[in-house]
Amino acid sequence: MIGIRNLTMTYRTAHGEHLAVKGVSLEIKQGQFYTLLGPSGCGKTTILRCVAGLEHPDGGEIEIGGRTVYSGANRTWVPPHDRHIGMVFQSYAIWPHMTVFENVAFPLRHKKPKPNRAEIRDRVAKALALVHLAGLEDRPAPYLSGGQQQRLALARALVSEPRVLLLDEPLSNLDAKLREEMRLEIRQVVERLGVTTLFVTHEQIEALTMSDVMAVMNDGHIIQEGSPADIYAKPKGAFVADFIGRSNFLSGKITAMTGSNGSATATVDTPIGPIHARVESEAQIGDTVTVAIRPENVTLLPHGSDPGIPHNHFAGTIDTIVYVGNLLDCVVSVGKERVRLQLQPSAEVDRGAQVRLAFPVEHCLALRA
Amino acid sequence: MATITADKPILPKRKPSFHFDIASSSLVGLTVIATSVILVLVGVVLWLSFTEGTPGDPVLQYTLEHYTSLFLDGFTYRVLWNTMLFSLTTLATSFALALPIAWLMERTDFPGKPVVFTLMTTALLIPSFAVALGWVFLLHPKIGMVNQGLVALLGLSDAPFDISNIFAMGVVEGMNLTPLSFVMIAVVLRSMDPALEEAAAISGAKPWQAVLSVTLRVLLPGLLAAGIYVAMIGFAAFDVPAILGLTRRIFTFSTYVFWVLTPSEGAPEYGSVATLSVIMIALAALLSWCYRQAQKQAPKYAVVTGKAYRPRIAALGRWRVAAIAFVVLYFIVAQLLPLLMLAWASLLPYLQTPSAAAIESISLRNFLNLPKELLWRAGSNTAILMVVVPTITLTASVAISWVVLRTRIRARALFDFLAFLPLAIPAIVFSVAALLLALFVMRHFAPIYGTLWILIIVYAVARLSYGTRMTNSALIQIHTELEESAQVCGATTGGVLRRVLVPLLAPSLLYAWIWIALLTYRELTLPVVISTSNNLPFSYLVWGFVQASAYGSASAAALLMLCLMLPVLLLYWLVARRAGMIAPR
Repeated sequence: MIGIRNLTMTYRTAHGEHLAVKGVSLEIKQGQFYTLLGPSGCGKTTILRCVAGLEHPDGGEIEIGGRTVYSGANRTWVPPHDRHIGMVFQSYAIWPHMTVFENVAFPLRHKKPKPNRAEIRDRVAKALALVHLAGLEDRPAPYLSGGQQQRLALARALVSEPRVLLLDEPLSNLDAKLREEMRLEIRQVVERLGVTTLFVTHEQIEALTMSDVMAVMNDGHIIQEGSPADIYAKPKGAFVADFIGRSNFLSGKITAMTGSNGSATATVDTPIGPIHARVESEAQIGDTVTVAIRPENVTLLPHGSDPGIPHNHFAGTIDTIVYVGNLLDCVVSVGKERVRLQLQPSAEVDRGAQVRLAFPVEHCLALRA
Repeated sequence: MATITADKPILPKRKPSFHFDIASSSLVGLTVIATSVILVLVGVVLWLSFTEGTPGDPVLQYTLEHYTSLFLDGFTYRVLWNTMLFSLTTLATSFALALPIAWLMERTDFPGKPVVFTLMTTALLIPSFAVALGWVFLLHPKIGMVNQGLVALLGLSDAPFDISNIFAMGVVEGMNLTPLSFVMIAVVLRSMDPALEEAAAISGAKPWQAVLSVTLRVLLPGLLAAGIYVAMIGFAAFDVPAILGLTRRIFTFSTYVFWVLTPSEGAPEYGSVATLSVIMIALAALLSWCYRQAQKQAPKYAVVTGKAYRPRIAALGRWRVAAIAFVVLYFIVAQLLPLLMLAWASLLPYLQTPSAAAIESISLRNFLNLPKELLWRAGSNTAILMVVVPTITLTASVAISWVVLRTRIRARALFDFLAFLPLAIPAIVFSVAALLLALFVMRHFAPIYGTLWILIIVYAVARLSYGTRMTNSALIQIHTELEESAQVCGATTGGVLRRVLVPLLAPSLLYAWIWIALLTYRELTLPVVISTSNNLPFSYLVWGFVQASAYGSASAAALLMLCLMLPVLLLYWLVARRAGMIAPR
């Protein structure tokens, strides 16, 4: 439904040029919920704005529903008002001089052919009902709460039944609780209408919970694309492993390998000792890799107890314990390294206690540095 | 009024891209036309300063003689010295009055602040030639009432006061500019984060130490910028030095240009006038460069985010009475007294101190004797100008702001700079430039001299920097996503303008429209060299009477003008109050 091929985009500012998007290609299928995730300045919003037609790319090609809306080679350019898309902006961009009704009716009034009055009224009512704002038609837009404005923006984006919906960090201005509610709601509405959605966010939780497919971006490139479960479990490279969730990183050289490529196990010589880890990408003995393990996968054992496995366990001292409600955030010193792990709040641990850490092999991932 | 200081060029890093269509092309076209008029006016002055001749000469001679003779003439330096003294006296007077009043309004529990704010804003708009005329009636060595009274009372042989010296002129101009300084200083005071002072207090500084070591230091760049701005206005001022000094041949640059242009006999030397204008532009450019430098410094300390802080309010206590007396005295002496004098003079056949005989001779004869036909023509000209000028200025301003702030056109920084120019160029130079353009260039293909068009063009261009500053700050406050969402929803550039931008800009535009209309009403400098009996505005009528020393008619016409201004002033006040432009917090 949306095809992007080799897109590049440069910003020219007073301080020089900044290459924001460096040759990105992606394909979003009909009805898919596709998320671009990355830190601020990684180029994700720029890609979205290029799809909307709010930015002129330098090169590449963009296609929406089989129609080329931008092509650097053929000098094709379709202005935003002819692209037939719906978009929710980060600031919601609710027009303050209009009522709720006028805001939602706006896209219909600029549609060709223009629907008649009765149809406009009908479709606006339907769109408002979809986002649970029915009955607020006559209210001036500024008199809505943050959550209501968000719903209004969604209704306005969907009222003309676009084939493509673009969401530019739509949840970032809401408080935590409302954000959680709206995550579910947006997902449900989009699913019900079957509209193809491109979603941009820097919140991993939004990407993980909402997407069919997500792409992690950094520095103008897509680093990894896949289903949320895939990306969480099998991050490609340290950047993704750290950006999605949290990870402990220990680097070292591979000293031994067993099994074939794809499901091999490597022994990595790290500063705290040898660690056995899974290897996803092609790697050879002698390569320098980083072993990543998520805090929730590190097991804590009492000092002197039997870990039950022959390797991947280390003695350490508890450094800090931070209570964060549903769990304990713990840092353990192992030699000169510090390993972060998560414990149940009921766990009885003390600062300075001698403990033993176990890294289950299936959760240790050797990533190419 | 917070926009008075916000006239730096503002170029955001990210701009939405746009697609060339009819609407955007016409906005760009308007921008190009408006800014080229400015360029052409400056260019004509520069060009003619190197030529010898009069309009109609088939071939103009090129020469450097105007420059050499001007620089060798001692009188030029005398005028320069006078202008400097005048500017500095103006600055000193207006700051000496405005600083304490602004401090009282912003940082103390002074009672009745809204009244003071309203009076100050109104005083900004009172024509300064009317006030200057009042001062003539008070302190002129021959006809001034105070002098007459004292001579009679004490049996003096000579008048004790003389208004026609450079310091007195500066003091009068300074009192006229006090409201402007007040507004600018109030903005600077308001933009200071009180936490800076509080931090000093908590670090152990006594209140006076905090004021010296923190408050003043933080405010200094902002005050400096305001001061240079006021000095710039003093440098370009025409009304006061013309009415008080011209008859006695005491010149500042503005009045000197006028005097050279209107010799008592023979044809004017246009080349010399152009050269004087070029020198004025150079000096004004120097001043506005300083102004920009000072402004660049200002944001470093004083927070110019537009965020209004709530500073600590000092209790006046027993100083309250003294503070009220100071403010009231300012309004009485600087505004009320001269205007009362104007009214008094307009009712008498000739100026005399109040006495039974004087009251006996009170009549409306001065009003009734005003030339009806001329009065009607001047009135309707002014009315047309008041409607057309703000409309043109603001249309062009919206176009320029849109191009500068919402497109990536490469020349946008140049447009922004050109739109700033009218602020730097003295008004008298603008009207000289328009005169030269009409006489030397356009007389054959577009004879605008003597028509209202020449006034409309000059007025509109001269207000362009004010207009763009207003539209810039209004446009900056509109989130670009509001326009982008309209685009995505299917609106073209024209649709975005019509449905989103103009409605959102409307309150600011209305305010600016009325403000420019009022400035148009009170303007004297721009028409003073280009008006004829055909296209004269009201202010020029008053000026004509002053020049003919018909003080009775002059005061009657000026008073009539003030009265006719009242309904517009009221309208302005209503709009400004709704827009939150006149308000102590």
